[in-house]
Amino acid sequence: MTTPASDERHERHETRLGRRGFLAGTAATAAALAADMTGLNVLKEQALAAELKRQEKRVILFWLAGGASQFETFDPKPGRPTGGPFRAIPTAVPGIHISELMPKMAQRIGHTAIVRSLNTRIADHGGGAELMQLGRRDEPSIRFPDLGAVVARELGRIDSEVPDYVSFYSSTEGRGSATRQAGFLGSRYAPMFLTAGTSPEYLQPLKTMSAVDHRERADLQAALGRQFARGRELPAVSSHSQAYARVRGLMASERLFDIEQESQAMRDRYGPTLFGQQTLTARRLIDAGVPFVKVGRAWWDSHGENFETHLELVSELDHVMSTLIDDLKSRGLLEQTLIVTLSEFGRTPQINQSLGRDHFASAWSATLTGCGVQGGSVYGKTDENGQTVVDGQIGAAPLFATIYQALGIDYEKEYQVGARPIPLTDPGTEPIDTILA
Amino acid sequence: MTTHSSLMCLTALCCLWPVAHARADQRPAASIGEIARVVDEQLDRALAKEGVQPAPPADEANLLRRLSLDLIGRIPTTPELQSWLAERSPEKRAQWIDRLTASPEFLAHQVNELDALLMYGTKGSLQEYLTVALREGRHWDRIFTDLMLAREDGSGLKGADQFLKVRIKDTDRLTNDVSMLFFGVNISCTQCHDHPLVDEWKQDHFYGLKSFFVRSFDNGGFLAEREYGVVSYKTPKGEDRAATLMFVSGTKPREPAAAEPSNDEKKAEMARFKEWAKQKVAPPAPKFSRRALLAELALRPGENRFFARSIVNRLWYRLMGYGLVMPLDQLRSENTASHPELLDWLSRDLIANGYDLTRTIRGLVLSKAYARSSQWTNGERPKAELFAVAQVRPLSPLQLAASLHVATTDPEFLATTEDPAEASRRVTSIVNQSRSLAPLFDMPQGDFQVGTTEPLLFSNGERIASELLSAGSGRLVGRLKQLSSSSEQLDTAYAAVLSRRPETSESELLAKYLDQRRPRPVEGLQQVVWALLSSAEFRFNY
Repeated sequence: MTTPASDERHERHETRLGRRGFLAGTAATAAALAADMTGLNVLKEQALAAELKRQEKRVILFWLAGGASQFETFDPKPGRPTGGPFRAIPTAVPGIHISELMPKMAQRIGHTAIVRSLNTRIADHGGGAELMQLGRRDEPSIRFPDLGAVVARELGRIDSEVPDYVSFYSSTEGRGSATRQAGFLGSRYAPMFLTAGTSPEYLQPLKTMSAVDHRERADLQAALGRQFARGRELPAVSSHSQAYARVRGLMASERLFDIEQESQAMRDRYGPTLFGQQTLTARRLIDAGVPFVKVGRAWWDSHGENFETHLELVSELDHVMSTLIDDLKSRGLLEQTLIVTLSEFGRTPQINQSLGRDHFASAWSATLTGCGVQGGSVYGKTDENGQTVVDGQIGAAPLFATIYQALGIDYEKEYQVGARPIPLTDPGTEPIDTILA
Repeated sequence: MTTHSSLMCLTALCCLWPVAHARADQRPAASIGEIARVVDEQLDRALAKEGVQPAPPADEANLLRRLSLDLIGRIPTTPELQSWLAERSPEKRAQWIDRLTASPEFLAHQVNELDALLMYGTKGSLQEYLTVALREGRHWDRIFTDLMLAREDGSGLKGADQFLKVRIKDTDRLTNDVSMLFFGVNISCTQCHDHPLVDEWKQDHFYGLKSFFVRSFDNGGFLAEREYGVVSYKTPKGEDRAATLMFVSGTKPREPAAAEPSNDEKKAEMARFKEWAKQKVAPPAPKFSRRALLAELALRPGENRFFARSIVNRLWYRLMGYGLVMPLDQLRSENTASHPELLDWLSRDLIANGYDLTRTIRGLVLSKAYARSSQWTNGERPKAELFAVAQVRPLSPLQLAASLHVATTDPEFLATTEDPAEASRRVTSIVNQSRSLAPLFDMPQGDFQVGTTEPLLFSNGERIASELLSAGSGRLVGRLKQLSSSSEQLDTAYAAVLSRRPETSESELLAKYLDQRRPRPVEGLQQVVWALLSSAEFRFNY
């Protein structure tokens, strides 16, 4: 299965995880190309893709669903009327303070860039989730791919039979807006979406069926399907055969989701929570070559009892994120893995009568850690009460351009969708250079 | 009807229906055949202009499958297929359309489709209400009115309050849902500013429409409405404004003046609402209801074109796979329909018919355009808006679940009764049993594509194997294993699952497959049936 993409580092991973076992050859290449609805220049794209793949970049996105408070995480305002009861603590980097709820991240902030100046305007869950997962809003006539689908498309192996976009979201609250889309890239890049536990459903064959029968039955279905597809060369119809063509590869990736393969000590490090175990699974997945894993953690929507909610959720995030950073670092993977924390919006400076904070999109924070990022840096500034951005105000687009840049993806590239060229980010968008390595 | 007089009769709205219809009925209703004729005339004219020769008609078996899925929400049974193929009458299609639309399965499928349209993505359901409403013959205008009035005091049909109830806590979303679902206009972006692309949609539209709902609220699980209250909002320049009632057309209806009550009055009112909540009773409707005004206004001659065009466009989309206006929620003047005269004609016809959706559905499925083949082999496929070739449409979760269960029932069981009522009862019971399978499938939205979950479910799901591939009696595989020749087996399986005869090449391939598994014939048959059930051909209405 050697392809130009397998350099030494790649080989090392393969040996450790036995990746050869589940990556078949290039048989799926034709199908994968046909799956692409964007009509790209295949040769040029392959050359570019090969180059990107040599870099083996990956993303783990912590999706803090419901809207995490910037005050109780990365932009504390201690002693101010809006600051709440928690203190700010110094970090390993002089001058940077974060909430006392994140003591472990404070020690590791040297790997992280904090963006404190998001003004994204949209403060309803559906609209905010759409904006912060797509980097823009859908237009009436076009559905955009979300961050995971773009990364899967740009960094995934075109012949990959492992999933290239896995998304965990176990809570029922907010699940509707957590499910995003592959948009014009097509379902080939839609996530494998897990709503429970750490392992997807239906990956194991039924005990009553032999592997040979399973395969021959699928081949039979594929052969019969070719007749029907003739004269019906439509994206919906071809997505059917392409999705079935991936079944065997996906089944072979089953053990990637099996955290029993990890030592008890390793599982203990990530902690007993579902979020911790899913993050450990995410690390297994990216280690095996899955380019994008989203771990959703809900429900941060603390209209009441903001401080109790954040005491629990931020403490967990602090522990899990720190463990992940340490783990990736010790595996030599941190330089090629970008960890992102993102929500649909932040929370209000005002503390309401129920000791809650409401939706707030005018001045809030996100973080980038690892791959391609200038660690220990802060971009942008809010006023002393966190009401407005006073320096470096940005919307979603520059943040997304920064993420693409950190991953080596050309944020100005264009996709041809029908007759219309669609740029990856809106023209004129610039990444935040100062937090890029 | 003047604004003033219409206000007077709002409370008696329900009794006025027949009268209202008679007044709106400016034009005699077209016959079903005339609807089909106008559709074809208009589409043919555009095709001729573009110089496109449309696809030939779909073959007979294909057409019955399409009609059955669209009208009764499932594939035809083998006996239905056989009797369709045996009939030679030139009026066959019209007769079958009459028969199918008269069946209880048609009503059930309409309920499913309307429920999915109005409630998908919410936690509520309108199944209970719609089932009774459609059985009673309530038309689309009446259904809309029922949903807007949402009577809970026993005077309305049970469950009609669901539409508002699940949305009432988020008035912004409620406003946009009503606008999109009933009027075909998505005004969500005018919430924060005038629409950046559409001149005719201003912030006033959003807050004007929202004003119809702003007095409504949830009172201990019951819908309540006050007689006062206005929406105030901020313009992008930071100005504070109080919204005026405004319909999507821009019309600002008059309403009785409503002074803000004194604080004492408000306190007394609050106590009354609290008491009703405590006693778990529906608060009485207000003397003047803004929601009732909306229900009446949207149906007024001159204003009703949004309401009529929106549902016509949605029905067209449902049956033809592509709207006359796309996207479905962008019915505005700059976004012209592919066939503007046709959309107008169908909308006027719907109004003239008192919003009887069934008539429009019957007219559309009788057209030549509906019955074209979905296969296009002469080079590049023509643009969808020409309707030169049939679209390939994904089945809804309920259509798919019902079809899977109908397909895998022993065809003999469905054929052993001559009594149509008994046959219908048998099928209905199969369809009802299939419902629990439906949540496993994705609801098609926009540009549907098959993701990875469904193939994994079909390949490895326990329920697929046990419910659909069982070799027990009464099941398809159970019947197949009793047949002696592979050609008999394949003919039976194809009729049951794909509603057609196998091609020679298919028979040869499958006979060979079965032959290789002769020592374990049941497994061979199960695998063949699986390959048919999981095929793209089965997955789509083509």
